[in-house]
This record gives sequence, C-alpha cells and structure tokens, in this order.
Amino acid sequence: MAKRSTESRPSAEGRPSEKSTVSISASPSSSFLNSFFSTPTPLYLSAAALRIILLVYGLWQDANSPVKYTDIDYLVFTDAARFVSRGKSPYARETYRYTPLLAWLLLPTTWRTNPTSHVLDTALFSSGKVMFAVADLVAGWLIERVLITHSRMDAATARKYAAIWLLNPMVATISTRGSSEGLLGVLVMALLWAVLSRKITLAGLLLGFGVHFKIYPFIYAPSIVWWLDHHSTAGLAGKSLAGRMRGFVTPARLRLAVVSLATFIALNVVMFYLYGGPFLVHTYFHHVTRIDHRHNFSPYNIQLYLASAFPTQSGLRIESVAFLPQLLLSCVLIPLVMAKKDLPTAMLAQTFAFVAFNKVCTSQYFLWYMVFLPLYLPRSSFLRNKTLGMSALVLWVVSQGLWLQQGYELEFLGRSTFLPGLWLTSLGFFLVNCWILGIIISDVGAPSSKL
Amino acid sequence: MRERITFVQRLGDALDPSVLQIAGGVISGPEIAAAREDRLTFATDEFPDELWLLLRGIHQLHIRWASADAYEAVSPFLSRLPPGFHAFLTPESKSYTESPKLCAILADIFGKLDCSTPAESFTSLPHDRFSHSTSLQYYHPLDDLSHFIRYAKEKLCPPADASCVTRVDSLAKASSLDISYDEISHALKVTATWPYQRQPVQVTSRPPFRTEVGILSADKPQTLEPHELGISGLLTVLGQDPEPKPTLFSFASRHRDAESAFSVKWMEPTGLHPTLQIRLDSNTLPKEADGAFCSPHAYLTLPRGVFADKYQLSDGLFLASKNLTALRYTSQPVDLEAPEYAMKRWGSAILVELTPPKETEGKEAWTAEIPLHLRYLSPAEGGYAGLKVPYPVVFWACAAEEGTKFPNNPFERANLGYDGLFGPRTVFWHVEPRPEGNSLMTTLNVPVLDLAKSQHVNVGTAIAVLLGFAWAAWKLFGVFATSGYGREEGSKAKTGKKPSEDKKKQ
Repeated sequence: MAKRSTESRPSAEGRPSEKSTVSISASPSSSFLNSFFSTPTPLYLSAAALRIILLVYGLWQDANSPVKYTDIDYLVFTDAARFVSRGKSPYARETYRYTPLLAWLLLPTTWRTNPTSHVLDTALFSSGKVMFAVADLVAGWLIERVLITHSRMDAATARKYAAIWLLNPMVATISTRGSSEGLLGVLVMALLWAVLSRKITLAGLLLGFGVHFKIYPFIYAPSIVWWLDHHSTAGLAGKSLAGRMRGFVTPARLRLAVVSLATFIALNVVMFYLYGGPFLVHTYFHHVTRIDHRHNFSPYNIQLYLASAFPTQSGLRIESVAFLPQLLLSCVLIPLVMAKKDLPTAMLAQTFAFVAFNKVCTSQYFLWYMVFLPLYLPRSSFLRNKTLGMSALVLWVVSQGLWLQQGYELEFLGRSTFLPGLWLTSLGFFLVNCWILGIIISDVGAPSSKL
Repeated sequence: MRERITFVQRLGDALDPSVLQIAGGVISGPEIAAAREDRLTFATDEFPDELWLLLRGIHQLHIRWASADAYEAVSPFLSRLPPGFHAFLTPESKSYTESPKLCAILADIFGKLDCSTPAESFTSLPHDRFSHSTSLQYYHPLDDLSHFIRYAKEKLCPPADASCVTRVDSLAKASSLDISYDEISHALKVTATWPYQRQPVQVTSRPPFRTEVGILSADKPQTLEPHELGISGLLTVLGQDPEPKPTLFSFASRHRDAESAFSVKWMEPTGLHPTLQIRLDSNTLPKEADGAFCSPHAYLTLPRGVFADKYQLSDGLFLASKNLTALRYTSQPVDLEAPEYAMKRWGSAILVELTPPKETEGKEAWTAEIPLHLRYLSPAEGGYAGLKVPYPVVFWACAAEEGTKFPNNPFERANLGYDGLFGPRTVFWHVEPRPEGNSLMTTLNVPVLDLAKSQHVNVGTAIAVLLGFAWAAWKLFGVFATSGYGREEGSKAKTGKKPSEDKKKQ
C-alpha cells in the first residue's frame, strides 16, 4: 500500500481532473475558446495586454485627474525606496509597514534619467507596478504548471483554470495600481510548486522569505510539514508515542524546518542590523499593537472599536482571544485534516479561514486566497453543481456589497452606520465566508466517487 | 508693575482733549467708540508663587487666547489667531517637557485643557529655521476665559479689591489675552484687547504703579510710508501729567489689514473626509502692498480629531483642483491612523498656500478647499459627536523691504504660530474672518459608534464567530470521521494511517 502511494505521489488531486475537463468542455464553448487555450501565447499575451492597458490608463488618469488610479500604498513604497536610495531607513516614511526588501526591490522607481526624459522617468517610476504585474503572470504560469504536473490536467484545461487568475480584472487592477499583494501570489504559488515538486530547500527558502515578507504565510508551514512524507507515519500505529515522534521527524521535514527558519531568522537579523528597532516595530509589532480600527470587513471590527475606546472594560475580552479560532482553524485543524488529502485545497482553506477570522480584513486580502482558486475549482462542488456555485458567488458578492453600501454611507455621507448596519453586514459577510469554507472543506473529504 | 491702557478709534475719530478730565490719578471722559488694549508688565519679584513654579525651567512661554466671537480689527491691533487657547514654549531642558507640572498648572489656571506633559501633548516647531520662534506648540479649542477669571479673582487680586475684580471680570468680553514670559527680560507681560465698541474713557491708576493712558486713532499723515501705520492722539501718565500730551507717530507693522473678508464652511456631505472651503471676497491687496511679492495663506490649528494628510497634499494636480499651491508646513508628528481617543498630542497645525485667481480689473471672490480627514472619535449615545474646529487665520504674506524693523512697533505682537514659519521680514496682510453667525468656531458632526445600540455587540460578535468556527470545525470533523486525516486513496479505510479506526481497534 505504502509503496504504491509513494509511486503515485504527488498525484493526490490527480484523478478528478479528466471528469471536470469533460464537464467544462462539454459546455457549448465555441471553437474560439478552445483555440484560445490550446497554446500558451494567447492567454499570456492577453493577460499581459490587460495589465498594459490598465497601466497606461492609470498613467493617463494620474496625469489628468485629481483622483488617482495609483494606490496610496505605491506612494508609500516608492517614498520608502527614495529614502533608501539616499542611504536612509525606509521607515523614515510614515506608514511603511513592510520589509525593507520591498523598498530595495523598488529602488529603480527612484532612478531618473539625465538629461531628463519625462517618458523614461515615468516608466522608471512605474517599474514597480510592472514588477507586480509580471509577478501576476508568473503566478499564473506556476498555477498552470501545478495543474499540469500535479493535477495531471492537460495543458489547455490547465490554462483555462489559470485564466481565472490571469484574466481576473480584480487581480490585474490591484497589481497595476501598485499594491504588492501580487508578489505574495507568486511567492505562495512558487512555494506550493516547490513543495509538490519536492524541492525542499527551495520550499524552505520561499517559506522563510514569505513569512519575513508578509507574516501570514507561516500558516502554510504546518500543512506542508504534515503533507511531506505523508506515508512515513504509516505503520507507526502500534508504536509508542516516542516512536511516533521519531518517525514523524523525517529528513525532508527537518530540512524544510531548518532552511525556512534559517532564512526567516537571517533576513530578520540582517534587517535588524541595518534598520534597528523601527524595522521590528513597523514590520511585526505594529500588527500586534495596532488600534487603527477603521472600518473593514472583519467580524471583530465594531467590537474592537468599542473595546479600544473603553480599555478598562472588565470580563473576558474578545480581542484577546480572537486569535484562537483563527489560528486553531488555519494552523491546526485544517492542516491536520486536509493537508495530506489535497495540499492546494488545504492551503486555500487555511488562507480563507485566516482572512475571514482575521481582526483586520480588507479586499486586498482576498487576493491571498484567490491565487489558489484555479487549483481547487476543477474538483469543487461549486463547478459540479452550478446552482451551488452561482449561489456562493452571488452570496459572496452581495454580502460584500451590503457592507460596502454601509461603509459608503459612513465614509462619504457621514451617516453613523456602525450600528447596526456595518456590524450586521460584516457578520453576514463573515458567515457567508464560513459557509463557503465549509463547502471547500467538505469537497476535500468527499470521495471522488461522488463525481 | 507697569500698566499701559490704549483706546484706539477709527481713522478720523480724534477726541478733543478738552472733554477729558484728569485729577487724582483718574482720567475720565465721554463714551467713545474704540478698541481697547490693556498691557500690564510685571517684574519677576511680583509673581505669585504658583506662577514662579510654572516659569522655573522655561526660557520662553507665550500663552495666547483668542475669542470665538467675530470682531472687526482696528489698526494697529490687526494680528489674528485661530480662536482658542494657544501655548508656545521653549523649555530650558528636555526633562522639563517630561514633567506634568506645566499642564497641571495651566489647567488650574485656564480650566480643562486635555494636556498631560509637553513631551506627550505638544508638537515641535521648526525652531531651527528662524531663531525668533519657540520650540513647542499646544492648542486647545477653549471657548471662554471664565475659569481664568475665577482663578485671577481668587489668586491674583488683593483681598477686598473691588476694582481688580471688576477689571478681571471685564475679560469675559475680551477678544484676546496674551501672557508672555521670557527669561531674558525677566518680565511677564499680560495684554488683553477688547473689540471695537462704545465704551467710557475711565481709568484709575494704582499707585505706586505707573499707569499710562493713550487715547489714539489711526492716522495717515503726509509723510507716511507705504509700509507704515500712522497713529495720533493723546498720551497721559496718570498722577504725573497734568494734561494729555498730543502725539503723532508712525511705525512699520508686521500685521496689516488686507481690507477684505473670508468665511469658511464644511462641504456637504462631510463624511469621514471633510473638506473645509474657504471663501475669500477679494483676490487683490490694498495698493500699499504694491510691488511686494505676496501670496495668500491659510493657517489652521486642527484639534486631533481631524488632520491633513501631507502625502495627499503633495500632488500638483490634486492641489490645483482645490485652488491650493502647496502645503507649506505641517507640525510633526501627525499619526495618520490612530483614533482620537488613543492620542495624547493636541492635534496639528498646518500652513497652506492658496492659489488666487489671476488679477482682474476689480475684486473677484474665490474659494480654496482644504481636504482633511477625521479620526474615529469615542463612541457616544446617539451615534454622532460634535468636533470643534476653529476658523483658520487667512492672510497674504508679503516680503517686506530690506532694513524694515518691526520691533519699533509699540503694538508689536509675535509668537502667533504662523509668524515663526516665515522669514523675519514678512508682512501679514490679514483677511477678516466674517462668519455667517457670529462664531469663529465651527462644529463638525462626526459619526461615531452609537453607544445606545452597542449592548449586544460583544455577545453578538462572539456568537457569530463561534457559529462560523463551529460550522467549519463540524465540516472538518465530518471529513475526519469518514476519511481520517490521511491521504485520500480513492476508497475508504485502506491506508495504514487511519487513526480513528486504529484507535477503535486498540
């Protein structure tokens, strides 16, 4: 048994693909669609074209309208890069809450031509957005690779699913506006690809780097460790606890742990050496101590506003135990039950739970799990059962829209919609997310014979 | 102590000396329409003990209070401040700023100020730019001087001194009160002004103190230079001069009258990003300012509930769309995220250069808009909280000619917050604030969490989170129960890693 599974690994999510391929291509799709996906060029060209159009449009809007296309965050990054280029700390820029690596990566945005060429200078300033957009494309390509190699999908079908990411207007908009979330997409997808391809050292490097970059990828560590060598606990049933523990510690797991920890620590030591306390404060401690609870999708948001204004309230404080359900789900229960069965879907569910249960939740965080959707959807009940799929999508959009409407009334019309409007709609959106999470979880458990 | 009392009438309203009676240290005359300024100068040894405590460890302290009642300025009392309580401080040492002493004494004197220590509550001023400015700034939208009046009557007036009590009481109608101390002169100057109104000329000296009374009016003698103000009238030192001495003098003044007005309003709907619209009724300056390089500015003291984002105010197109040229100064630091109730700093001061329309034949009214952002305020019953924001000071700043010396002005007033942001030879042509009502304090209606509806928030949030968690956990348990935590093998219970079944077997 164990031997056979070793051979067939890593095909954990392989089998259903043919079926879903059928279900997708069985739809009255035109020959145009088939030929569009039959070679890589049309998909990647149109994904690139979409981003180029948005980039150029953004430049036009920025130059001609007082309302800017470029995200505020991009100005934060590029300001920080300018400080770095002058030999100063990126944290000299207020609200820069990222690793100095991001500012370093964006150093080309601070370069200027001599003699001055306005066009080239604008291109240089936008080079960060180009980098984020390229990161999108690479993430899409990695999605295709994972689908082909590990889900045993044919290339055309794999591209069809990768298009969910590559041609997604939300993804393209976020990266061309200059938000760095696209970098996370490529990092996390590269991590998954490395793990599935058993490139352990590379996976360790990516994991350590990802956690240094944005903290949240640490949730993938337990599922990857659990997934690695999943046959090695076989035959341990009768052994003592100590024996099981020894059996659990395999060379691959050890290597992943050592490499990722070493990468994470080394990066932090270097950054701390270079930038000192402000690096730790802004990159890490800020997320623990922050009290800027401007309205966001988190179910805790209104409660945190209330609690932060009256810090002496007695009794059990929700905000101090809020991390429990979040971490229990995303770092313990989901990895434990799901990782060995279907690593990509487990990572999707982890991210989904992490974002839904987080104390702060904005729409940029949705990108964190969207990158996994093309890997999960082929075998999801959302695509198998169109009614369920449409209901989930509509509920997700509508419950978000209801919240946005309340947020708009507060932010722009000045109506006090905190209670009950914002509170109830955030709880509604949260519960819809939990319902969707439940279906994702069930899909992994559902034997493929159901298909 | 020395005392100088000045009545200033309008141009051409001179008083005939014959209607004044001077006898036994008392000057009295008919009712006249005038603005009044009282300036008292105390030597260090005349301070009450509490003030001594306050001033030890200080190089300079300038307290400025301006009334929220709109008033028409009379030359030479032309300088303006946003209404409320301002303090400008240069301490001797850093340790002084870490002590709560100053804040406690100021609160004792002026009432509740919301200040903990200078280090926590004050903002820094760019003292490296021009040496004449102080290093720390504080502001609070203090409505009136009632607490100060009560304090002065109890602690500063000699017992059973009815005239002292009367004079202190009259501060209730003052348009401004300045208290200035600096270590070098070892003197404390207290200056109060009252707006232009009908009032009797009646002053009694308090021997042995010197009391000088001026009954003056603005004047424009032939020899007046464009950069000067002219004053003429009668000066009397009580108990010394048997009759008033006529006088005529002129001096360069840092503060001038732009002879135009402005008003502000919050653009509706204000939301969480209110925009203050400044409406000026003229884009030109009096001809005396001809030839100088001038540009209009607005100086705002923003209580901490509202702030300007310096990063937003750095884009040329955006600024131009609001008729702004540039954000010239913002006090540091300004937290761009924290809620109001988590902050100790008083707020922030900003100086914005406005873009007037191109010069036209006649006057042209125009507007400029200053985009601001609200912080979250404390939850309150009803879901809304009022946030007081004072009128800005609006002026045209012009570069004066080389060699102009302002300190020759007997009515010189410095340390106003904005003057230190300009070079020492800048002239401020003040635009008069003319609100629709009478108040120079605006109120923003800020949406906050409604406390009356908040009783279920904790329980409701907890239930929703537990519900969501339980649902996900239940689904996980479902998967676990049917196929364990092991790898999916296509059919059930084939692998050797089925803990649920293994355990059952054990």
